[in-house]
This record gives sequence, C-alpha cells and structure tokens, in this order.
Amino acid sequence: MAINYKKELEAAAKSMILVHNPDTLIKMIMRRIVQQIKVSHAGILLYDKDRDTYVLTVSRGPAGLKIPAGFTRMDKDNPLVSFFSQRKDKKLLGDGVLIYEEAKKLLRRKKLDAASRQLLRDALYQLEIFETVVCIPSYFRDDLLGILLLGKKRGNRKFWPDEIDFFVALTSDVAMAIRNAQLFRELELELERKHRLFIHTTIALAAAVEAKDPYTHGHTERVTDISLKIANLLNQKNKGALSEKFLENLHIASLLHDIGKIGIPEAILNKNSSLEEDERKKMQEHPVLGSIILQPIPELNEVILGVKYHHEKFDGSGYPEGLDNGRIPLIAAIISAADTFDAMTTDRPYRKALSKEEAIKEIGRISGKQLDPQIASALLEVYQKGEI
Amino acid sequence: MARLLIVDDEADVREFAANFFRKRKVEVSTASAGEEALGLIEKQKPDLVLLDIKMAGIDGVETLRRIKEMDRDIKVIMVTGRKPEENSFERCKQLGALQYVHKPLELDELEKIVLKELFPAKKEG
Repeated sequence: MAINYKKELEAAAKSMILVHNPDTLIKMIMRRIVQQIKVSHAGILLYDKDRDTYVLTVSRGPAGLKIPAGFTRMDKDNPLVSFFSQRKDKKLLGDGVLIYEEAKKLLRRKKLDAASRQLLRDALYQLEIFETVVCIPSYFRDDLLGILLLGKKRGNRKFWPDEIDFFVALTSDVAMAIRNAQLFRELELELERKHRLFIHTTIALAAAVEAKDPYTHGHTERVTDISLKIANLLNQKNKGALSEKFLENLHIASLLHDIGKIGIPEAILNKNSSLEEDERKKMQEHPVLGSIILQPIPELNEVILGVKYHHEKFDGSGYPEGLDNGRIPLIAAIISAADTFDAMTTDRPYRKALSKEEAIKEIGRISGKQLDPQIASALLEVYQKGEI
Repeated sequence: MARLLIVDDEADVREFAANFFRKRKVEVSTASAGEEALGLIEKQKPDLVLLDIKMAGIDGVETLRRIKEMDRDIKVIMVTGRKPEENSFERCKQLGALQYVHKPLELDELEKIVLKELFPAKKEG
C-alpha cells in the first residue's frame, strides 16, 4: 500500500482547522477519499436538525454514483439509520463498521434474533440501493451525527484493515469538525439574533418619543440616516478611521438622541408657538434626561455621550455644558449636524421649513460657529452627492 | 419495457435518477424543461413521468396540466424542492397527479413508488 494513512489523517486534520465552512470541508475530504483510495464513490449523510432527518450532503465519485447534494435523505426510521442509532453495530459488528460482505456472512451463520436479522437485512438493502460496500457511523456522545458511505474499490478489491481504520478515524474527526462548525454557526446566529433584538428595541424606544412629540415624526429616522452617511463619508476620507464599534454606537445614539423628551411635558412638546423662556429651559433638559435614562446601561457609555451632548455647539454656545471645540465628543458632533439640518428642513409650529438648498447654505454659514467645520463640510458633500 | 420520463432542471438529478432506474430495467428518458418534456411525451408515450415542480419556463404544475390535457392516462409523480408552495399539493392532486414526493427524498421510497407504478403486477411478489 502506497498510502501513508497517518499523513493523510494529518493533512485532513489540518484542513479541518483551516476550513470553517463545514460544506467545503466535507467536499474536500470526500474528494481526497475518492482520489487516494480509488473508490467508485464516497458520500456522507449528515443529521439535519431542522428537518430531523439525515441528508446525503455530499457524494463524490470519478465514475459511478454521484447523488446530487440534498437529493436524498434517510429518516430516523430508515433501517440503516436505526441500525446505527440503536447501536446494533456495537453488538453485531466488533468495530462498529458495517461492511456489506461481512454482514452478509453474519446473516448466514450467526445466531441472530429475528428483529436484528430483519433490521440488518433491511439496512443492507439500503447499502445496495446506494451502491455502498462500507458504512461508517460517527457519533457525538450517543447521538448519530452522520454516516460515511463508501462505494466499491477499483476492481472490487477488499478494503484493507488499515484502510478501514483510517476511515473510522477520519469519520470521527470529520464529525467533530462539523459539530464544531455547526456550534460555531449557531453561536453566530444567536449573537446576530440578539443584536437584531437590541436594534429593534432601540427603534421601539425611539418610536415612543415620536409618539409623544408629533412634530418630530420621522425625525429620528432621518437624523439616523444622515448621521450614518456623514460618518461613512468621514470614514472614506480618513481610510477607515472610525471603528465598526463607533459606527454601531452612532447608529444607536442617533436613534436615541431625543429619548430624554419622554421626560418633557407634552404641553411644551406640542405647543403651537414659540416657547417661553422657562419652557425653553425645560426643553433644554432633554439631553441630560436622555443620558440619565440610559445611565444604567454601562455598555452604552459612548452612546450616552452622543445623547447628552448633541446640542453642544462648536463655539461653546450650546447646552447642557457649553463644551467647545475639541471637547465635544465626535459622536455628538455628528448627530448635532444631522439634527440641525433636519430641524431646518422640517416645518415647526412657529416657522416654515427651509428647502434643502437653503438649509445647506445655512449649514455653510454656521460651519465653524455652531458646527464643527469638518463635519459641516462632510454634510455638504453628502448633500452634493445626492444622498440626502 | 416500461418507460419512464424524468423531468428536472438539475442535470445531476436527471443523470442520477436516470442511472438509478436504468439499473432497474426501466427505459428512461430525460427532459430539462416543461416544453421539452411535452415534446418527448408526444413522441414516446411514457408510462410514468417524474416531474419536478420548480423549473424555469413553464413550471411543473403547468406542465402537469398540459400532459393531462394531451393524455389523461399518463401517470405523473410530482417531485418538490425544499419549500413547496402552499397549495401546490392540492393543485397537483386536482390536476390528476398520482403522488407527491419531497426532496430530499428517501431513495427506497422513490424506488418503491416508481416501480409499483411501472410494474403493477410485480407488487404482490
């Protein structure tokens, strides 16, 4: 035998570490088996959790049976699956490998109980229709994860014991790798799900504010959209200076920037004319109120900065703290520019909306005064590109 | 010899299923689309058609309707993909399809169903 099985196993193990996509991994390994051992085909049935059945995921062969991926399945009551999942292999076959020829002999000579004999006979029929001569199960604890099916060797030669050993080791490694890949994927999906849940919760919170303050209807969504566009433009210009995490925080902060308005009396929010001085003071509490609402969530540290300081101005004339140039967090400065632009282009009870062109001119005028000039010019560019 | 027509737009499926049934003494022809299948049926008069539902062009359900229009006696078994449309099962039954099997399918079940229709006398044996 020219094949060094130990080396083959090592090579397979290496690819299992490198390849995280289970489908790619299985295909690679099947191709290897077919090439190295010269079997007419090799296939693997894998347990599909969603459908609660075993699906023939890959089947490879230079000639001979090549079943299209996902075309066939074996349900749990399939005799071959039952044979292995009931662990008949342990009782009837010493090493757990089902070899067609030997099982046939077993049927002839051993004293088998009627049920086992029938099950083995039915399992062998499955081997026949899949043109399989060797079957190797793989388990995780007591669960059957999959079954490796091997077709005839060239010239219908017998499999050598070391070949069988190789396949047993390989199958259990493959099963483990697939199991890991699946767990990893499930974890990723779970994280993704949690993240979506979080974003949707944030959107729901933002909607709570909008429900209370009819004049800002749609405002949150627009401010979020403009903020993210400004950030993306800044990112392009500065070659990815803003981290994923920052963009994510900006997304959340812009959704929640007016959350503090929940604490402002509706009489003020819904007033049809300009605000009196004391009303204005009350209204100006909303950024701090927002930050207090979010304070209990330590993961939202940077988000809170965006909420708390989105009314600060570049020249220090804003509120609540009168922070000036260089002390206003970037996340707040971006939301501020987006918020200012959207406020200008929206009708208010006490004034008509500006057109976008007029608003952009106004943004240019207050750049370097109320607004950070870098961000104002990014906003200008976003507008010129026709993105808003 | 019993004649089977396999209609599926996936070449691998056609090839595999055709080989599978040829080994079981069935004369098999294949078509990759509904139009092609209708042409073949007119010429060859197969005893049984394995018809994939989801195909480009005229789909399996419409192909079934036209087959039955041509010849009510041709037996048709529908094969569906993973996510069959909601009422396609009912619709195929109304149109006279014999059976309805889902991919991924159990090979022995497919074998049983097809051979039973092609060799009805053998089923007692």
